[in-house]
Amino acid sequence: MDKNKIIIYDVSLRDGSHAISHQLSIEQISKYAKAAEKAKLYAIEVGHGNGLGASSLLVGKSKLSDEIMLKTAKENLVNTKLGTHVIPGFATINNNINRAIDIGVDIFRVASHSTEADTTQRHISYIRDKGKEVYGLLMSAHMTNADILLEEAIKMQAYGAEAIVILDSAGSMLPHDVKKRVELLSKNLKVPVGFHGHNNLGLAVSNSIVALDSGAKILDASIKGFGAGAGNTQLEVLVGLLTKYNYETSIDLYGVLNLASLADKLLLKEAITISSLSIVSGLSKVFSGFSKHIQRISIKYDVDPRDVFFELGRQKVIAGQEDKIIDVAIKLSKAKGK
Amino acid sequence: MNYFNISLNEAIKIGALRNSEILVTGGTGFFGKWIIEIIAYLNDNLEFNIKLYLVARNNSLYINEIIKKRNDMFFIKNDVRNLREIPSTVEYIIHAAATPDNSIHMSNPIEVMDTIAQGTKQVLDVALGLDNIKKILNISSGQVYGTLHSNMISENSIGTIDTNSINSIYPEAKRYSETLSIAYKSLYKLPVVQVRPFSFIGPHMGLEKPWAINNFIKDAIKFRKIKIFGNGKPIRSYMYPTDMAWWLLSMLVDSKNGVIYNLGSSEGISLEKLAMKIKTKVGVDVNIDILNMNEDSAVFVPDDSLVKNRLDLDIKVDIDEALDKTIDWAIKVL
Repeated sequence: MDKNKIIIYDVSLRDGSHAISHQLSIEQISKYAKAAEKAKLYAIEVGHGNGLGASSLLVGKSKLSDEIMLKTAKENLVNTKLGTHVIPGFATINNNINRAIDIGVDIFRVASHSTEADTTQRHISYIRDKGKEVYGLLMSAHMTNADILLEEAIKMQAYGAEAIVILDSAGSMLPHDVKKRVELLSKNLKVPVGFHGHNNLGLAVSNSIVALDSGAKILDASIKGFGAGAGNTQLEVLVGLLTKYNYETSIDLYGVLNLASLADKLLLKEAITISSLSIVSGLSKVFSGFSKHIQRISIKYDVDPRDVFFELGRQKVIAGQEDKIIDVAIKLSKAKGK
Repeated sequence: MNYFNISLNEAIKIGALRNSEILVTGGTGFFGKWIIEIIAYLNDNLEFNIKLYLVARNNSLYINEIIKKRNDMFFIKNDVRNLREIPSTVEYIIHAAATPDNSIHMSNPIEVMDTIAQGTKQVLDVALGLDNIKKILNISSGQVYGTLHSNMISENSIGTIDTNSINSIYPEAKRYSETLSIAYKSLYKLPVVQVRPFSFIGPHMGLEKPWAINNFIKDAIKFRKIKIFGNGKPIRSYMYPTDMAWWLLSMLVDSKNGVIYNLGSSEGISLEKLAMKIKTKVGVDVNIDILNMNEDSAVFVPDDSLVKNRLDLDIKVDIDEALDKTIDWAIKVL
């Protein structure tokens, strides 16, 4: 891979699903996909915020089925690849992955918590065996030190992952946290390393540049930052910035700026901002996708959502443990004598 | 299907195996299947009258079919770590119970190390009770050489292995198994020989295993782009399993106790050339994408001069013929 050639992977229509409680419509997907194709994006990821098969009462029901979302996107893409997020447990090979392969998904990104890579073995190996592009994703990479992260990444590489992406799921990493992790992985893996930022502490774009300088070859981003909590690395800002750093992305600058204008009208009911709760998410190191659930449950139990975040942080909860929110809210409520 | 063509003169060289009893651990694996093939050939065509015992945790459909049809092969269902009783008449042991699949090493590192360490100890302990034991081949791995800076790896090469790395699970356990078996040789005079296999290609391979050559063949057959993740420069060599099985039986007969022997072809080929050969042989017009994701250009090719000179063994099936045969087989099974 050329030194300055990098892949920008657009997660807007997947991570952004969190921001609208997974209520993406056919119109939103088809119009966005068309515009992404025009902007010459490398790939767009589409689906429920927690990926294939995740639509449920626990983490939120999607408006559309996985199948309809993926088919709609695929019908509007020619050169831009279609990606999907896979968390083993939510997604099964027979029910979800085979269907996605039939629909024509090009890239499967199989994720686990950053210490649990071995849960991805069957999924990664199966997808690789089917000849599809498959990445390994280590979620909540901020909760795991660089050495352990490397071991987990090596496992995914051994299973057949063609790239390893680390996720700053709570937007809590500081630049030196990113540098240490990406540098170690880039030096010791045979496949490219990617970085997925969140903006809880306002560092998503700058952390992405740090990741690049540390050896990353793939950066995740979303249009206008459309993503869970305080949003992701802002795609159009990143693309603009990369032109100043002389990195090649193949993305058309005007195209991506048009995409941002379209997203204003098409996707965002309200601008993605760094809310107080997002800051607390970043500080407490709890996955940004918990925000909406915490807000809702805190109202029900009349507790301060910031306290809920910090308590969940103390308990080191990870994505998939959303049911813990109610436990914590009840505990805090009882402590207040309610 | 008959894969072998062994002449009478060749058969004389391994004549000591006539009427013998051989036990193979890891009996349902790649090595086990090829030992079955060659012994079936010897018994059916050259009246060797060998009894073969296959030890494995679980039987497979393939092995089951063979065992049902034949009265010279027997399955012993057991984890090698729990192996206690085997026929006292066994004279030769090929200890091949361990998977070289590194995705399994990553997912079950403790299990892998324990199976190699405890399994080897158990096999050696059981061998102590055999009155007529003549040879034990400890199937180690070419990976025990670790990182080297030589082009051809000879049996006296000693490289480095980072013992503090998850990548070292398999080679470090195999190193332990070698030293442990040498301890048994020293203390109890067990006739132990170390065999260090390199890379193979041929029927009975698990094509789902995450190795470059498997992916190249699968991709070409399925008209998919062949992807080379690195720069295509690493050099590998591939031995066809009929040669591998013949070498193993010859080692049972002619090897010297306590000596290490490489098991592999010395005909090196770069991954890029290998991909081009496979593309041409399959006859498809698919692209070969060299993705240059890393700068690895390591050479993993054995020096086979010791085996050739001391055991008078040679490669009969070169890389071209091996690929032709493997591709024919893969088209049928995929």
